[in-house]
Amino acid sequence: MFSLKPPRPTFRSYLLPPPQTDDKISSEPKIKKLEPVLLPGEIVVNEVNFVRKCIATDTSQYDLWGKLICSNFKISFITDDPMPLQKFHYRNLLLGEHDVPLTCIEQIVTVNDHKRKQKVLGPNQKLKFNPTELIIYCKDFRIVRFRFDESGPESAKKVCLAIAHYSQPTDLQLLFAFEYVGKKYHNSAHKINGIPSGDGGGGGGNGAGGGSSQKTPLFETYSDWDREIKRTGASGWRVCSINEGYMISTCLPEYFVVPSSLADQDLKIFSHSFVGRRMPLWCWSHSNGSALVRMALIKDALQQRKIDQRICNAITKSHPQRSDVYKSDLDKTLPNIQEVQAAFVKLKQLCVNEPFEETEEKWLSSLENTRWLEYVRAFLKHSAELVYMLESKHLSVVLQEEEGRDLSCCVASLVQVMLDPYFRTIIGFQSLIQKEWVMAGYQFLDRCNHLKRSEKESPLFLLFLDATWQLLEQYPAAFEFSETYLAVLYDSTRISLFGTFLFNSPHQRVKQSTEFAISKNIQLGDEKGLQFPSVWDWSLQFTAKDRTLFHNPFYVGKSTPCVHNGSAKSFKRTKKNYSSTLRGMPSALKNGIISDQELLPRRNSLILKPKPDPPQQTNSQNSDMEQYFREWFSKPVNLHAVILPRVSGTHIKLWKLCYFRWVPEAQISLGGSITAFHKLSLLADEVDVLSRMLRQQRSGPLEACYGELGQSRMYFRASGPHDTDTSGTPEFLSSSFPFSPVGNLCRRSILGTPLSKFLSGAKIWLSTETLANED
Amino acid sequence: MASASTSKYNSHSLENESIKRPSRDGVNRDLPEAVPRLPGETLITDKEVIYICPFNGPIKGRVYITNYRLYLRSLETDSALILDVPLGVISRIEKMGGATSRGENSYGLDITCKDMRNLRFALKQEGHSRRDMFEILTRYAFPLAHSLPLFAFLNEEKFNVDGWTVYNPVEEYRRQGLPNHHWRITFINKCYELCDTYPALLVVPYRASDDDLRRVATFRSRNRIPVLSWIHPENKTVIVRCSQPLVGMSGKRNKDDEKYLDVIRETNKQISKLTIYDARPSVNAVANKATGGGYESDDAYHNAELFFLDIHNIHVMRESLKKVKDIVYPNVEESHWLSSLESTHWLEHIKLVLTGAIQVADKVSSGKSSVLVHCSDGWDRTAQLTSLAMLMLDSFYRSIEGFEILVQKEWISFGHKFASRIGHGDKNHTDADRSPIFLQFIDCVWQMSKQFPTAFEFNEQFLIIILDHLYSCRFGTFLFNCESARERQKVTERTVSLWSLINSNKEKFKNPFYTKEINRVLYPVASMRHLELWVNYYIRWNPRIKQQQPNPVEQRYMELLALRDEYIKRLEELQLANSAKLSDPPTSPSSPSQMMPHVQTHF
Repeated sequence: MFSLKPPRPTFRSYLLPPPQTDDKISSEPKIKKLEPVLLPGEIVVNEVNFVRKCIATDTSQYDLWGKLICSNFKISFITDDPMPLQKFHYRNLLLGEHDVPLTCIEQIVTVNDHKRKQKVLGPNQKLKFNPTELIIYCKDFRIVRFRFDESGPESAKKVCLAIAHYSQPTDLQLLFAFEYVGKKYHNSAHKINGIPSGDGGGGGGNGAGGGSSQKTPLFETYSDWDREIKRTGASGWRVCSINEGYMISTCLPEYFVVPSSLADQDLKIFSHSFVGRRMPLWCWSHSNGSALVRMALIKDALQQRKIDQRICNAITKSHPQRSDVYKSDLDKTLPNIQEVQAAFVKLKQLCVNEPFEETEEKWLSSLENTRWLEYVRAFLKHSAELVYMLESKHLSVVLQEEEGRDLSCCVASLVQVMLDPYFRTIIGFQSLIQKEWVMAGYQFLDRCNHLKRSEKESPLFLLFLDATWQLLEQYPAAFEFSETYLAVLYDSTRISLFGTFLFNSPHQRVKQSTEFAISKNIQLGDEKGLQFPSVWDWSLQFTAKDRTLFHNPFYVGKSTPCVHNGSAKSFKRTKKNYSSTLRGMPSALKNGIISDQELLPRRNSLILKPKPDPPQQTNSQNSDMEQYFREWFSKPVNLHAVILPRVSGTHIKLWKLCYFRWVPEAQISLGGSITAFHKLSLLADEVDVLSRMLRQQRSGPLEACYGELGQSRMYFRASGPHDTDTSGTPEFLSSSFPFSPVGNLCRRSILGTPLSKFLSGAKIWLSTETLANED
Repeated sequence: MASASTSKYNSHSLENESIKRPSRDGVNRDLPEAVPRLPGETLITDKEVIYICPFNGPIKGRVYITNYRLYLRSLETDSALILDVPLGVISRIEKMGGATSRGENSYGLDITCKDMRNLRFALKQEGHSRRDMFEILTRYAFPLAHSLPLFAFLNEEKFNVDGWTVYNPVEEYRRQGLPNHHWRITFINKCYELCDTYPALLVVPYRASDDDLRRVATFRSRNRIPVLSWIHPENKTVIVRCSQPLVGMSGKRNKDDEKYLDVIRETNKQISKLTIYDARPSVNAVANKATGGGYESDDAYHNAELFFLDIHNIHVMRESLKKVKDIVYPNVEESHWLSSLESTHWLEHIKLVLTGAIQVADKVSSGKSSVLVHCSDGWDRTAQLTSLAMLMLDSFYRSIEGFEILVQKEWISFGHKFASRIGHGDKNHTDADRSPIFLQFIDCVWQMSKQFPTAFEFNEQFLIIILDHLYSCRFGTFLFNCESARERQKVTERTVSLWSLINSNKEKFKNPFYTKEINRVLYPVASMRHLELWVNYYIRWNPRIKQQQPNPVEQRYMELLALRDEYIKRLEELQLANSAKLSDPPTSPSSPSQMMPHVQTHF
């Protein structure tokens, strides 16, 4: 990468072996052994010895001594000291215990205690003082602090500047993933197909453990879309290839699904009228035939009505009952990306930056004021209303948004998570993210702000994960994955190794990596751009054992998730006919007639194809929806059918694992829901073992080895049959598990809050009590 | 999209385990026999009314009033609504509308309940039906004002276990390893002469004579002298409870009291100080001097360290709970839920109580110091602090029976004034003595059980049924203010204990995730970040808010338990069969796939 974009002169020395500025240090043999573990393509840029990593806010007694390294991928703190106060660590294979990927850095603050100076370091900045302290604010809510009291002042300064420089790259191709994948291609030059990762370009669904051999469909190919059409039983829809080679639009995938009645030629013409040429994209079809479609606004005012009409007619034609189209203008109904970002900034400020005790008294109103929960609720609520349209009204739903690549991603995904149990499995959820985010052109590069210079940052993806968590919290048995999985997935957006969350569109990946390949003399063969590792290849990050934590032991799943080609899914709930095994279309609907009463307009929507107006319609729309929700909630939940969120203020909660996991004061040691998770895992594991033994017994000696193949799905394993009653809660469990606040959140303060102060820190407010009436 | 359920699935009733529910299939609907009746319960009247349900609108029904309950059954075919309200929960009955009232359903009764709900009935203006209902309800809901007995004294229920035997003080102290060479059991209060609000049996320092105790009693509010509540099994530090010292404006001292506290301190050799936790805010403690009370000053008690815990008094708590009701009933404040909740200060009070208890527990366990806890009279905040600290320190109290013993000991026997705080059978709803102190304690326990899902043998239902019968007057458990009054009324002979009901049906109240652990101290995190409003209690009447019952996670666990047992059984059968046949191939055609569906239980 250095040959491509040479660093500025001030940093030239970083290309050389680290200069030995401090004799004192190099004479210390022990320090010399501290060598970083580097990935292919990773280079140490600068390093400094005798650094102290702060562990606790109020005392230095737990601080660790070691070497701080800045590479082109991460900040690494290498130490021989064991981690204090911590008996467990969930390890990322790409990162050491104390490492922070450069893309995870939010802000770098250098401090000089003696001069009482402090500076936020941007790229290419000068630092006029020698820092005594470095504070890294991370995007995943961690705050890491290093002290340089004993290190060489010049080296310390250089490392700080190097971190500032390399964590704020000027060009996409300077992100480490390029260097890494380039190295991989070079190393495997003799192989025909690039990375010999064995899963054809990192489509890995092999990651989540549990012996699942399925792969996550990436929706890069025609066949993935075709399979999805068949899986959902959608008739009237076809895969369209007009964007092959990104000839039509650079922010659409090469293949997508459109109404069968629209010819390629028409689509090409229409495409010009849409913002970003983003014509309607099919997302999903209900077993009743209603489809979920997303599209950008039609910018051509003159053509708008005509094209709109054509599109809607085509969608109606694709509906087996010729049902109408319900349009939802997301820009008008939901908070915009700037508002979501502002809420997130406040939330983060409140959760980690501000002193714990000072925020206690006004915690609830401060949390409300961030508006984060309000926005999560708004997305859930709106998605649930669209579920009603699709499921109960049998209407196809079109999501409309200016560009159709932000709010639409979130809403389209949530609707599908609620309606289709397949998307509540690990593979299904991953395929959903591929389909509605990665391929649909969610601008991960800008929204995650990997290059740290855009004002386009917005945590919509996190908001989606948070909303999914709310559903998981309300329906713990409906999801194959755990909240740990969701948190780890969020963290993975901050590791610039995976192609998944690196680009603004699939086209950008192809374009940028082709350029990079040419500049690096990499032969791409017939590949479209470099094949970056996929985040779904979880084995790159976690051991098989650690990956079992992704599995939710509460999940009541089918033995095989419903991915059988062409078969309609087995979930369907109608007012008259409640059945969990009904296949295909309910016979009552097969004649394709639905009553006029069911087609009612609503505020913020317009239904095309005007109907003769029965007079009683207008005011009953909302009450019909109320009625639908009321009835749904009054019945027992079928976990293999639609699930709807409860969205009152008392139901939408803060996702504590994600936002509090690094906060030591908020950690419940030996407690938290993980302790119930642990207990259930033991039992679930025991049931698994018993069921295998039973199978063995039944199948007889010939197949006796069959049972040995099965690996445990559970992280916590029963040590033997019948021991679930005796095994206590392991010492290392806490509400932060599998994460740990130790060394990960170290706010700067003169004197921290000792436990005693924390305990008695209750505020006295002057109350209205009458002292004479003292009980 | 306020999620909602129809009245069809909505039963506004308390638990009634020992009685048969009326059949809900409509067969017996119109027979008065279908009204549940406890042994000893008699029907007084029945009337046709309109129940104005705040969630589903007016519902025509028939109301049956017995000497124990108000029972309403819907007369509408599409609604199976049932209202089953023990008269004990009623705090106030008001007439609404007058003879000139117009408008639909504006004439009737408005009933305020102690369990976070109101009931409204509309009646016909003709025929004095409202006057009749008002008088009958008033008479039976407030029997004390009409020289009638509380229902508990009429209840003839029989259970196969006797809840009155659950708590035996001698046994409980023996379990704690008492008496030992520092602490003795004294019967000085056998006839409640030393202190009429204390139990008969007390544990005091071995070195303090009965005369010492009598002299100390003169210096402690209502003679509630420092006595032992709990002793640490290993380090032998103790939790001691009492009332405030009678220091007064002049700053009186009492050598006997000072010496007595020193004797308590000396039972623990590890630390040279005795820690005193005064539960009150310091300003309140100072203010109490005006009425003769006060706190232990540094000058008088050299070897003690005093801390104030800033917990407010019963009046503040009562007002706070009122505000909670305002934001949850009948409708939940939606637009600014969190800030509304904050403005009630309820969770903040919970935090202060828990924080205080954590400090007590931590001092005893890690600080190795004996602790003395008091507030003003030592029967409200003191009971909260000692019982919660004991729950944190001693896993025994986290079992069902252990918890019953804890309540029986620290609350009932030590004279928490249940009769005054709840107002059993009393019509004076504005009585300043009423306060939800015990509810607040149960709320704290619930908060702990949320933070430690595996640490308690009991489930949420257990806590809710305790609260329901705190008000119902069906059992004698929570009646009267102190042990001496209970003894005079022969409560254990004449009434049934709540623990009889619970212990004869324990399975229903068990937490499936319970993992029995010994000697583990539980430190909850008393932070607003973790404290939550107990929705399943405070908002349970609202069908739109009610959470899934049964708890899906618990249910899943129970299913897996059943599955495990079935597999073990089948495995044993197969092993038997295989060993009998040895080399014979299995004849059963059943395959694993036929077995699997059992795992995927559909709810």
